[in-house]
Amino acid sequence: MHEFSIAQALAVQVRQHAPPGVRVCEVEVRIGPLRGVEPDALRLCWEALTLDTDLAGATLAVDVLPWSIACPACGRHWESGVPFVACPCGEQATVPSGDDVLSLVALTVDDDADTAAAERPARPARPERAVAHGR
Amino acid sequence: MGGSRVRLVVGTPVLEANDRVAAEMRAQLAARGILAVDLIGAPGSGKTALLEATLRALPPTRRAAVLVGDLATARDGERLARWCDQVVQISTGQGCHLEAAQVRAALDQVDLAGVDLLFVENVGNLICPVGFDLGQAVTVGLFSRTEGDDKAAKHPYLVEAADLLLLNKADLAPHLTFDRAAFEADVRRLQPSVELLDISATSGEGLPAWLAWLEARLAGLRR
Repeated sequence: MHEFSIAQALAVQVRQHAPPGVRVCEVEVRIGPLRGVEPDALRLCWEALTLDTDLAGATLAVDVLPWSIACPACGRHWESGVPFVACPCGEQATVPSGDDVLSLVALTVDDDADTAAAERPARPARPERAVAHGR
Repeated sequence: MGGSRVRLVVGTPVLEANDRVAAEMRAQLAARGILAVDLIGAPGSGKTALLEATLRALPPTRRAAVLVGDLATARDGERLARWCDQVVQISTGQGCHLEAAQVRAALDQVDLAGVDLLFVENVGNLICPVGFDLGQAVTVGLFSRTEGDDKAAKHPYLVEAADLLLLNKADLAPHLTFDRAAFEADVRRLQPSVELLDISATSGEGLPAWLAWLEARLAGLRR
């Protein structure tokens, strides 16, 4: 159940990156297949952890990347939710590969709160960049 | 409700705080010429038995320290303390894996003077420990023949992350139906070039190759 630790680390990061006074509506995370993270377990941990806190109600949007499968026999490439699958050509020993990314992609915030605009620091959203890898 | 919604792009690693502590430790240990080994394996795979055998077999010129993580009890630490004077037991409570801050705190209790090898015995678990960087130089995955030959395929995360895979309990081979070729085929599909050594912590089979691997990595670190 490493999902709980990940949810804890995520909450710390969300609080670091959310401008003061805003309500966080959605938290987007991207997870590579090598992380072995169960999205449902992560959502459950996130909900339990943020209940009755400033992050209550913030939904977690989990983008789990698929495994890339290559067939050494026919050269076919495709994506799969599981690493060990047979190729339609009959080859059993396909080669799985995957990413170990685990990143906080973006936050959607609602700055409707009365004081939000005045207190909001000049911290513009950064342009999309290459997602950093966990290790 | 109904205010203006803004999407803020962040793009940072979720485990950034853990990774930062781990990177600091890795740099400090490397600067001292200490090879840190994260040993990951299932409960009962023989992690503590392997470390006991390793500590017994180390040449007198090599000094080791061990950090050992468990949910409960100090039994592993007590076993290892018979063979090593620098052992710290980390009780994780409910935690299914070690994190860098726990290793940092344990490391502060160790006298690293003259230490060549730092073994970190992770909590018995093939999944959760893999994603948490502890500042190790190498990750060693320990499987054993009694677990069954399908475990590499069922736990691809450890196989992909490992610098070395050990297959323990070689001495039990005559009594088991473990398909060694099928196990290795699954390993190779995930990581074609990873080293895989057959060992027995009980009989000592394969220990020289394991020690030679450690020596080579230590030499590489100090080069």
